[in-house]
Amino acid sequence: MVNKIKVKNLSCYYNKQCVLNSLNINILQHEILSIIGPANSGKTTFLRTLNRMNDLNVNYSRKGEIYLDNNNIFFMNMESLRKRIGMLFEMPIPLPMSIYDNIVYAPKLLNIVSNKSDQDAMVEKVLKNVSLWNEVKDRLNSSAMKISGGQQQRLCIARILAINPEVILFDEPCSGLDPISTAKVEESMIRLKQKYTIVLVTNNVKQASRVSDKTAFFLMGKLIEINETGKLFISPQKKQTGDYITGRFG
Amino acid sequence: MIKLSPRLSQKISYLLLFLATVLAIVPGLLIISIIIAKGKDVFFAWDFLTLMPINGMLDGGIFPAIIGTLLLIIITIFLSLPIGIGAAIYLNEYAKDNLLTRMIKLSIVNLAGVPSIVYGLFGLGIFVMYLKLGVSIIAGVLTLSVMELPVIITTSRSALKSVPYLFREASLSLGVSRWDTIKYIVLPNAIPGILTGVILSIARIAGETAPLLFTAVAFYTPYLPHSIYDQVMILPYHLYITATQIPNIGKDRIFATAFMLLMIVLTMNFIAIIIRIYFRKNRKW
Repeated sequence: MVNKIKVKNLSCYYNKQCVLNSLNINILQHEILSIIGPANSGKTTFLRTLNRMNDLNVNYSRKGEIYLDNNNIFFMNMESLRKRIGMLFEMPIPLPMSIYDNIVYAPKLLNIVSNKSDQDAMVEKVLKNVSLWNEVKDRLNSSAMKISGGQQQRLCIARILAINPEVILFDEPCSGLDPISTAKVEESMIRLKQKYTIVLVTNNVKQASRVSDKTAFFLMGKLIEINETGKLFISPQKKQTGDYITGRFG
Repeated sequence: MIKLSPRLSQKISYLLLFLATVLAIVPGLLIISIIIAKGKDVFFAWDFLTLMPINGMLDGGIFPAIIGTLLLIIITIFLSLPIGIGAAIYLNEYAKDNLLTRMIKLSIVNLAGVPSIVYGLFGLGIFVMYLKLGVSIIAGVLTLSVMELPVIITTSRSALKSVPYLFREASLSLGVSRWDTIKYIVLPNAIPGILTGVILSIARIAGETAPLLFTAVAFYTPYLPHSIYDQVMILPYHLYITATQIPNIGKDRIFATAFMLLMIVLTMNFIAIIIRIYFRKNRKW
């Protein structure tokens, strides 16, 4: 297996306060890595560093390197980086436009599709990929703000698929969803792993054990343990990991 | 101290608050109704609105003053709107939050509170005398624009701020550039707020005399302006001179002039309300 992302000695700070301390992680191609840990452990900061969303925050600073296919992402153009590393946020954020336009919005601007029939085909394909097509095919032109939260979150996944990234970051994507919607999102994630590399930040330890190949446990800005999901959950090497996954704290 | 029962004190405070509201509204209604009542005969004779003034403004109409006011408003909008919105976009979307930016933002808020006569003198010094534009439409428009810009920037910034930050993040996370995000996500959702605020502030300057006093207005011109280097008559100043400088003028003519000025301001406010209703209905979040 090929290393898709290599993180070397990454430290992140907000207002000079360290929130992520010399992190080293390798992420393999076509695997789902989930990151678990209590609040303030630096999970989301790590994710938002990977596609450089945090670069917009003036209080944020960082040290270290991250390589995507051996290219340092901090030297890459931000737009082309984000096109390669898509991100799904905690809350579903449909853009204030129709379902159809939500999907074709970025591909049109990035010149991925041009004519109308290509766009139609793409919309159908990505919506089928997240099993949303049957639910919305009759109202593609109605506002994306009017569908349910679970449908919105799947629409957001479809929107990412439309720009055809290599890596998809999921930031606690199911924290606001009911169990059935959660199951549907997880189902899409497992299907997506064939084509994409996935990093999933989750507060839900069970979700990590259900979907991921590898799990990393963060605590207070430090990587405590990373291992194949089966092994980490059955025989954690560190005491804190065991305490966290069995629910003794966090 | 007398202790009132809760029911009674509730009633008294209700009464006081209601009275405060009445006191706030009554003067405005009185002004409007008196102006309409005293000015309507001359106003609806139409000749008054379409004729040039004659006989030392004792007869004829106020046509050049109406044209002058509208010209100044329209050119000011076209000049200050793009600059103001541009500055607001820069300050809100691009500028880093450092000491310099914060000072600029603070001074813009303060500039919006500078008395208009100060802008008038500034315009006289810079545009009329230093740039040798003379007392002219262009000098008046530039002065009004300088005065309007801080207001336009402030209202545009608050309209831009009201577009949720999450929309920007969602768009950026898809690899869309910052400028495209502004163009396709932020601006379309901020435009109604910007337009409403701008029209309201322009309506306010329609009645301004002080900034134009030394820069654009003529006491009397027998013809309509031919170019932007001509002087113009404007309604508020015309109102002032007919009321104070010309003896024996019919009071109904003065009220009709006020009526016209009122109509321009109210029409612009009305347009702002229509725009707001229209966009609010089409808003998708």
